[in-house]
Amino acid sequence: MNENVKAAKDIITGYSGRPLRIMEVCGTHTHEIFRLGIRNLMPKNAEIISGPGCPVCVTPVGFIDEACYLALEKNCTVCTFGDLIRVPGTEMSLAGARAKGAKVRPVYSPLDAVELAKQNPDENVVFLAVGFETTTPSACLAAETAKSEGLKNFSLLTANKTMPNAYKALMGSADAFIYPGHVNAITGNKTCMELCEKYGVSGVVAGFTANELLTAIAVTLTLADKGEPFFKNCYPRVVKDEGNPAAIRIMERVMQPCDSEWRGLGVIPMSGMELRDEFADLDARKKYDMPEIKGKPNPACRCGDVLQGKCKPCDCKVFGTGCTPQHPIGACMVSGEGACSAYYQYS
Amino acid sequence: MSENTVTLAHGAGGKQTSELIEKVFKAHFSNPEFTADDAAVLNMEAGRLAFTTDGFIVSPFEFNGGNIGKLSICGTVNDLACMGAKPLYMTCAFVIEEGFPLDKLEEIAAAMEKTAKEAGVKIVAGDTKVAGKGQADKVFITTTGIGRIMDKAHTSGKFAKPGDAIIVTGDVGRHGCTILLARDEFGIEADVSSDCAPLWGTVESIFDVTNDIHVIRDATRGGVGTVLYEIAEQSNVGITLDRESIPVDDGVRGVCGMLGLEPLYLACEGRLVIFAPESEAEKIVETLKKGRYSQNAAIIGKVTDDNKGKVIMETEIGSKTVLPQPGGELLPRIC
Repeated sequence: MNENVKAAKDIITGYSGRPLRIMEVCGTHTHEIFRLGIRNLMPKNAEIISGPGCPVCVTPVGFIDEACYLALEKNCTVCTFGDLIRVPGTEMSLAGARAKGAKVRPVYSPLDAVELAKQNPDENVVFLAVGFETTTPSACLAAETAKSEGLKNFSLLTANKTMPNAYKALMGSADAFIYPGHVNAITGNKTCMELCEKYGVSGVVAGFTANELLTAIAVTLTLADKGEPFFKNCYPRVVKDEGNPAAIRIMERVMQPCDSEWRGLGVIPMSGMELRDEFADLDARKKYDMPEIKGKPNPACRCGDVLQGKCKPCDCKVFGTGCTPQHPIGACMVSGEGACSAYYQYS
Repeated sequence: MSENTVTLAHGAGGKQTSELIEKVFKAHFSNPEFTADDAAVLNMEAGRLAFTTDGFIVSPFEFNGGNIGKLSICGTVNDLACMGAKPLYMTCAFVIEEGFPLDKLEEIAAAMEKTAKEAGVKIVAGDTKVAGKGQADKVFITTTGIGRIMDKAHTSGKFAKPGDAIIVTGDVGRHGCTILLARDEFGIEADVSSDCAPLWGTVESIFDVTNDIHVIRDATRGGVGTVLYEIAEQSNVGITLDRESIPVDDGVRGVCGMLGLEPLYLACEGRLVIFAPESEAEKIVETLKKGRYSQNAAIIGKVTDDNKGKVIMETEIGSKTVLPQPGGELLPRIC
C-alpha cells in the first residue's frame, strides 16, 4: 500500500467529526467503491450513498417504452448500449421486444450504429442516445457524421442528461458530492464552483484509482467537518477548470438543453439535451411522429428512492427476492454499475 | 476448390474418408495402438484410473498462442492431471463443416500431435464426421482421455481444509482475454497470448516434492474465480484472497480495465489452482517457478473456517469485500 493511500485511509478511519452523508453520482465510482471495500472502511458517522450516476439507472420507463414502440410499431432497428436491453419498460424490455421479433442490436459506440445504417440502407436505424456529458459528445459526433454523409435511414432517440441541475435537485440529500472525474474532464469545474458559491453545494472531483478515490473522500471529510461550503478538484492530472473545449463545442453545435425526466426524480428543468432544429431530421421522435408515451414504473420498485439516497437498496421489499440481476424489476439492478446490482453482488 | 477443402464425401465413409484419415490423421497420430480396427486394444496396468471427456468449439479456432487442436489435447490432459493421473491414452472425434480448408485441418492435427507428445499421451482412436455448410461452425473436436492415478495422489474439490494455502501456477485470465481480442468486437489491440499448455509435467513436479496436496483444479471456463467458489462450496469452507498477490499480465489488466472485466473470471487453459497445507506451500511454489508453464506461480490466498461458501477479497487498500459472482455467460465459445 503506498504512502498516500495509507495517509488517506488513516484520515477516513479516524474521522470523528459531525455526521456526514457523502453522495457519489457516478456508476464507475459506485462500482470501484464496492470493489475496493471502501464502505467497510467508513467511520460510524460518515456514510457514502449512491446517487443518480449510472446512465441506465436514470433513464425513465417511458424512454424504454418509446424505444419498444419504434422497434415494434415502426419496424426500426434499435441500436443501443447493451445494458439498456434488459431494463424493464411498462410492459416489456427491449429484450422482450426482440423476442417478439423486433430488431434490437447492441453496439459499443454510436458510430457503430451509423456504420450499420450505411451498410443496411433498407433498415431504419435508431440509436438510443443516453448518458451524461461523458457519452453525449460521441452521440453528437454520430449525428454530425450522419448529417454530413446525408444518411437518410439513421436517427437518434435522445435521453441525454446533464449533471448541474441534478445536483441542485439533490442538494438536500447529501452534505457533499463526489463529482465524477470524467464528467468534469469534459465540462470543466466552473459549474461546480458556482454551485458552491451561489447555492452552498459542496463537493470534490474524484478520479477512479484507489489512491484518487480515498484521497477525495479524505479531503471531503476534512473540509466538510469545518461546516463551510467547499469545492476541491482532487483529480487535477485529468480535470482542468476549462474542461475539454472540443467536446463542449460539438455538444453545443448539435444539441441544446431541455427539460428532462429522470427515473425517480421526475422532470428536472434544463437537465437534458435534445437535438437542435438543424438536426431535426435525425430526431427519431419527430421522424416517426412519436405519440406521447407515459411510462408506468413497477410500484414495488424503489429505484427512485435509491437514486436520491432516501433508502438503501436492501430497504426495498423486492431487493434480492423479486428483483435480482438475473430478473431485474428496476433499472438499478440491471447495469453492473447500478447501486442495487452492486449491493447485490457484493453482499 | 474441393481438393483443398473438406467435402461431404470426406465424411461418407468411403474412399475419400480413408484418404483423409491416411493423409491428415494417421500421418500425425501414428502409434502401435492406433490401428484400422473398430477399437483400440490397450494393455492397462491395474490400479486407479481417471477417465474424462471434453468438447471443444472455440471460436475463432486459431488464436494467439494456439488453436483448437492444441486446446483439445490440453483440456483433457489437464483434467486427468488434476486428479494426479498420468495421461496414457486419448481418443478424438471431429465434426468438420463442409468447406473447411484441408491445410488448416492439417495444422490442427499437427498441433495435437505435438501437444500429445509433450504430454506423453497416445491418441489411439478417432472419428471424423462432416456436417453440411452452416450445420456446424468450421471445426468441433471432442477428446476423451484415460490416465493412471499415482498411488500418492488423492485430490478432490472436497478436500480443501481451513489453513490450506491457495496457489495459482501463473498469471490469470490470459486465454479468455486472447479469445475476446481475437473476436475483434471491441476494437482493442493488446499483446496478449493464450496460456494454453499441457500440465501433466507441472503436476508431476509438485508431487515430487510433496504428497500433501488436497485439491488441484484447472481454471478453464469461468476462470480462477469460478473454481474458487466451486471449491468453497464443495469443501464447505471460506476462502480469503489477497488482491495484490494475484498475478495478472499487464496486457490482460489493461483490457480488463477498459471493459470492466474481472481477470479472475476470464478463462485460463494452462493454469492450475492448488490447495495444500500452508507448511507445504513455499516448497510447491519454489518447484513451480522452475517449471516451463508455471514461472509466475504465487500463493494468492488461504482457506478459512468462517465465511463458508464465500470468497472474500482483501483489497489493495487493506479492506475486505466479497468477490462478486458473475451472472450469465461472460463470453460464449471460449473453449
